[in-house]
Amino acid sequence: MIQIHHLHYHPILRDICAEFAPGEMVGLVGPNGAGKTTLLRTMAGVLRPTGGTVQVMGEPVHAREPRWRARRVAYLPQFLPDEIPFTVREFVEMGRYSHAPRGVLDRADAAAVDEALAVMGLRRYEDTPLAHLSGGERQRAAIARCLAQGAPILLLDEPIASLDIHYQLDILVRLRALAAEGRLVIAALHHLELALSHCHRTVCLHRGRLVADGSPDKVFTPALLRAVFRVDARPFRDPHTGALRLSVSAAIPSTPE
Amino acid sequence: MTRRRAWAFGALACALLASAALEIGIGPASIPFWQIPADTWAYFAGHRGLDAVVVGAIRWPRLLVAVLAGSSLALAGAVLQAILRNPMADPGVIGVSSGGALGAVIAVATGLSARYQAATPALAFAFGLGVAAVIYRLATRARRTDMYRLLLAGVALSSLCSAIITAILDLSPLEEMQQMMFWLFGGLDGSNWSEALLLAAVNAAALPAFLRFAFAYDILTTGEEHAEAVGVDVERIKRASLAIAALIVGVAVSTTGVISFVGLIVPHILRRLMGANHRPLLAASAMGGAVLLTLSDLVGRTAVQPAELNVGIVTSCLGVPFFLYLLYRQRSGRDAGP
Repeated sequence: MIQIHHLHYHPILRDICAEFAPGEMVGLVGPNGAGKTTLLRTMAGVLRPTGGTVQVMGEPVHAREPRWRARRVAYLPQFLPDEIPFTVREFVEMGRYSHAPRGVLDRADAAAVDEALAVMGLRRYEDTPLAHLSGGERQRAAIARCLAQGAPILLLDEPIASLDIHYQLDILVRLRALAAEGRLVIAALHHLELALSHCHRTVCLHRGRLVADGSPDKVFTPALLRAVFRVDARPFRDPHTGALRLSVSAAIPSTPE
Repeated sequence: MTRRRAWAFGALACALLASAALEIGIGPASIPFWQIPADTWAYFAGHRGLDAVVVGAIRWPRLLVAVLAGSSLALAGAVLQAILRNPMADPGVIGVSSGGALGAVIAVATGLSARYQAATPALAFAFGLGVAAVIYRLATRARRTDMYRLLLAGVALSSLCSAIITAILDLSPLEEMQQMMFWLFGGLDGSNWSEALLLAAVNAAALPAFLRFAFAYDILTTGEEHAEAVGVDVERIKRASLAIAALIVGVAVSTTGVISFVGLIVPHILRRLMGANHRPLLAASAMGGAVLLTLSDLVGRTAVQPAELNVGIVTSCLGVPFFLYLLYRQRSGRDAGP
């Protein structure tokens, strides 16, 4: 669904190759400054790489116009301005721009908006001003806007950062359900334990390079956690649930380079 | 909100009709309202009675120029506020107005305007667009337009334009100087039919173009990154909007001179009244600008009779206190904002 060949974005990303298939829930992990946001923006076609190619559904994404991209890739940037003077429904309707650039929504557009609101559990907030929602509900509205685009690929930049634990789990479970329906979901995540428990696959970036790619239990080795994340940690199976967990014991002091 | 919008449009339409009737009726020769249609008809039928000439050759063009220049400025203000995502943006702030005035003065000083009638609006448009493009370029780094840099560059280039205008005025013969002074203090004296028709033509082209972008303007309130993510070609829409805004403001400045605050205040007030949805907001701004400029001209013509105040002075004197009052209300928390 997405194929990345020797992607460079000077000086942030270096020689990244990867391939993603429908139905995958991918956690993109890496310390601050590793290049996660840049990689997502390049895959979304918003940022033009300085080398290499990104193919979306068989076509080079940077050769196509913005509305073509937006119908195939829904990208959610990390930050949403605080004061957006629209209701939740009006905000989600903006996701239909690539289908209805004049803002005249037909029945298919309205149905897509209805469904996006329903999937994210926002039907009763439809007419509420976006500014009145809590942080977690706002994030759900932002994801609903992505869903309204009707794109089979969702790229989300830290969708659960700054949310409380309830909404972190709530959003991840909803994203997993979307992947189970056949979408490709790639989310940049800082919360390693949640990446471990909720993703089928994790891709780890470090200083602009892809250093590990695979199922979370293979990626999160004590050696990688030490070298990349600078923590003493090891994965273990939770005796109660059988799920993979992470036991983090200490931060390794930074050494001057 | 829909109800409120309907009320606002109704009120604007009534205000526009009333101020238009007053603008045509009031003056040294006063024309009763009920005679306006008859006198207009008489003028176009070729009768040259005093009332018919006053209505047909003086008052109607003046009214139309006021209405169309006002709507140009307010529309441009609403669009600039949308693409720059800042409620302080205005044709004056980003230098389109003073650039346009410089172009008009150069057209007169070089004698071009005496030879070609189109030279004044054409140069006003070219200079307005040029100044706006330079300021936009200076304020944009890595495809992000920084508002502080934009405001600073706007202030700097506007004062440069004013300085050049003053220099040209100083060096001109007295007669030409008086003609050029007109562009510094916007006024509506001597408006004629060809000016009104030119303004009508550019407005008729600009309004549909802006309305086509209305949904994109709505989306831009969520930030440029989000707008790009949903498929808006942000750079293209910003550039096209800026060029069209420079066109209508340039033509307005070339006919009326610099009139400030209309483009700032009208969209600001209307956004509070009827919300941020740009389709109704743009249409209402066009009407609101027309009403404000017509009423200001009425005040200017009647307040200190028999002298007349330039309409630009009146818009500033009416607009600034009202704007400060809005800021004060916002500060004291009685108004939660849009």
